[in-house]
Amino acid sequence: MTAAPPPDPPAHPFRNPAPGAPGPAARGRPLLTLEHVSKRFGGLRAVNDVSLTITEGEVLFIVGPNGAGKTTLFNLITGFLPPDEGVIRFAGRSLAGTPPHQAARLGIGRTFQIVKPLRNLTVLENVMLGAFLHTRNLAEAGARAREVLEFLQMGAVIAQPAAGLPLATLKRLEIARALATRPRLILLDEVVAGLPTTEALALAGLLQRLPEWGVSAVAGVEHVMQVVMKVAHRVIVLDRGALIAEGAPADVVRRPEVIEAYLGAKYKQVTG
Amino acid sequence: MATLFWSALQAVLDGLLTGSLYSLIGMGMALIFGVMRIVNFAHGAFMMLGMYVTYLLFDQLGVTPYLGFLAAAAVLFVLGVATYHGLLRRIAERSEFMIILLTLGIAQMIIGGAQLIFSGDFHKANSALNTRLLHLGPHLTLNHGDLLSFAITIVLATGMFLFVMKSRFGRALRAIAQNRYAASLIGINVQRTQAVAFGLGIAAVGLAGGLLLPALYLYPEVGGQFTLKAFVIVVLGGMGSIEGAAIAGVVLGVVESLTSLYWGNQWALVVDFAIFLLVLSLKPAGLFGSQRV
Amino acid sequence: MTRRRAVLAAAGFGLCLLVPLFQGAYHLNVLFHVALFAALGVAWNLVGGFAGQLSLGHAAFFGIGAYALPLFHDKLGIPIPLALVLLIVTAVGAAALIGRVAFRLRGPYFALATIAFAEVLRLSAKNLDRVTGGDVGLQVPGLFGPTAPIQWFYISAVLLTAAAFTATALIVRSRFGYQLQAVREDEDTARACGIDAARVKLQAFMISAAFTALGGALYASQISYIVPDAALAIDLSERPAIHAMLGGAGTLTGPIVGAVLLETAQELFKNVFHESYQLIYGVLLVLVVLFLPEGIVGTIARWRRRQRAP
Repeated sequence: MTAAPPPDPPAHPFRNPAPGAPGPAARGRPLLTLEHVSKRFGGLRAVNDVSLTITEGEVLFIVGPNGAGKTTLFNLITGFLPPDEGVIRFAGRSLAGTPPHQAARLGIGRTFQIVKPLRNLTVLENVMLGAFLHTRNLAEAGARAREVLEFLQMGAVIAQPAAGLPLATLKRLEIARALATRPRLILLDEVVAGLPTTEALALAGLLQRLPEWGVSAVAGVEHVMQVVMKVAHRVIVLDRGALIAEGAPADVVRRPEVIEAYLGAKYKQVTG
Repeated sequence: MATLFWSALQAVLDGLLTGSLYSLIGMGMALIFGVMRIVNFAHGAFMMLGMYVTYLLFDQLGVTPYLGFLAAAAVLFVLGVATYHGLLRRIAERSEFMIILLTLGIAQMIIGGAQLIFSGDFHKANSALNTRLLHLGPHLTLNHGDLLSFAITIVLATGMFLFVMKSRFGRALRAIAQNRYAASLIGINVQRTQAVAFGLGIAAVGLAGGLLLPALYLYPEVGGQFTLKAFVIVVLGGMGSIEGAAIAGVVLGVVESLTSLYWGNQWALVVDFAIFLLVLSLKPAGLFGSQRV
Repeated sequence: MTRRRAVLAAAGFGLCLLVPLFQGAYHLNVLFHVALFAALGVAWNLVGGFAGQLSLGHAAFFGIGAYALPLFHDKLGIPIPLALVLLIVTAVGAAALIGRVAFRLRGPYFALATIAFAEVLRLSAKNLDRVTGGDVGLQVPGLFGPTAPIQWFYISAVLLTAAAFTATALIVRSRFGYQLQAVREDEDTARACGIDAARVKLQAFMISAAFTALGGALYASQISYIVPDAALAIDLSERPAIHAMLGGAGTLTGPIVGAVLLETAQELFKNVFHESYQLIYGVLLVLVVLFLPEGIVGTIARWRRRQRAP
């Protein structure tokens, strides 16, 4: 009674970029587009007529006060919620009616703001579940998970159960699990929020290296402006569900309406 | 044609009378689910205890079930509060899975205990009121006992509804149902309030048991099907909605009564479950009342 | 599962198969029930323990297994081996149907829906007396001829347990097994990993139903006469769940440990405490939930992990 399933030939060698991932030349092609997307909860307009494009090779950050609709936006993109209005396209294909698991298979990876580890599984097993998207083989998934965990500097906790790990580690675990699915687009929902500044900046350094893993675009939601300024190519500001500003990080944070209405307190607080 | 009409009307009337008791059973469960998210698999077992309390009073002291039910309510309230403090409170933070298993265990304990004390014998409490008939015209008859229990039920159900909706205690209950943590922040004693809510829910099913006593044979496992009926009622009424459960109970009574008339008594429970599954799959928020899923 | 454990398990099942050499009919009859419930517990555990879906309607599959044998063989004249195949197909089909409705619901709603399905089946079996004989019941054909000794049934039950155990062990160490556990731990995370949660749950449910139905057929054939209140009792849904929980839901050996302990205990209680065995059963269940929420095997495993870890 040996338990190992018959090994499948690896259809997608891990170190290759994900299928369809661009070389540097492809930079600038739209990967994800939202056209007039809205979502209401009862009377509340959580996302209000938002249009945006994420292009390949880009790191986009979405900022805005709590309740601005950032997480809802991610839930719409990943199929956890259906939009009331508007069209979302990924790599040219409409995502209407796409359930979350299908979105993941298309190449949209995500983390959860409120970390959702598989508590009774080990760190390695958590990440293997992401890797299983591309292989049935346990050894192969394990190897991929180890690589990702090594990259995120989590080698020391690999065999520990996820339950009981500190928040900083769980945040990294979210990223590792998403990365193991080999996403073309990765959505990071407040992965540095709540971390001490040094830890946050270290993680930001790692986020800049995501393209090495075949990730062609990163979209993040973040409050910590230091990280946003360091990592983002472009910033979008959401308030009460609507997109109110967009541009290069240095420009956006200089706009008076953004500073005063939405970033003021936080930005000042972080930059001292 | 005319006979068909009158027999249908009679069935509807009978259904209303039984249904009012179902409402009480369902309201008890809805209260418990709404406030604590506990799906109480011991509901029917508690009802059976209420029936035994009423029966003992009837058998030993000659107290009519139409008064004895009050004692059943009192005894079960105390038992409910004790069960909450002794058992349920300890696992409040655990998974639904565990809570269901715990209430299953409580049901087994109660039924097993009743087996031990009362044996598996069947008992019946015949009340003189149930043999006295009230004739409404030439075609419809109702017995006095059912009418009396109907009246009592209406009063109690209304009282319970007003208590939960209007009283200070009721407001605390609803605050806990909305957000336990926030409720504790504004100074509500969550544990005590939940204990009382569980006690009330159990008292409701216990007194319904007392009032049902004249209509049923009593034995330790009599409650089982009422647990299932309570589930049907609560799902139909929108999990946790007290007024929804009240309406759903009456509807279920009428549906059962009409099913018995046209297809036979043995199909009543099947129809209950068919409705239950339909509602669960098509409209899981329930048919009546404000939903809180 | 390591090779060493696999050898241990094989040796354990092998030893169980030797028991008929030493034991008489009375004890084998008890042990048959223990082994039967071990098989049911292991089958239930795949859905309830590993996938974390609290099914309280497995009596439906047990009953389908029990009734399919006389209906297919005696009424339709299908030979026994083919009837067994058809019985599995029927149970798996029923699981697909029930699952399709019930898995759209989460938490207590799922549990309630499974109960409702099982109860509809029980009541229908009572009422459709032209097909099922109603409460009068049906004679069940012998799986091993008309007068097979209890040894045959005992050995079959052990083999069924071994088969369900092996299947579970293989599943647990496969991608499918991990996906089931991911669904149990957090369905949103599972879906974000590209797992079709509804689909893996349904597959586990169908496998579980197949083993449970075989258990039902074995039971019916051994007892040789079935009525709805016995072959489709709610109790048959609850007991495997309770056994698995006591032993440790989501562990490989937990359901077997639970079934052996509780079914043996029940047999003892019946003889020693007579009427009160149900009370003791309930008390045990409450104690397990309060003090051993991970079950016996689960608690031991955690304790050993903690010893090993620094």
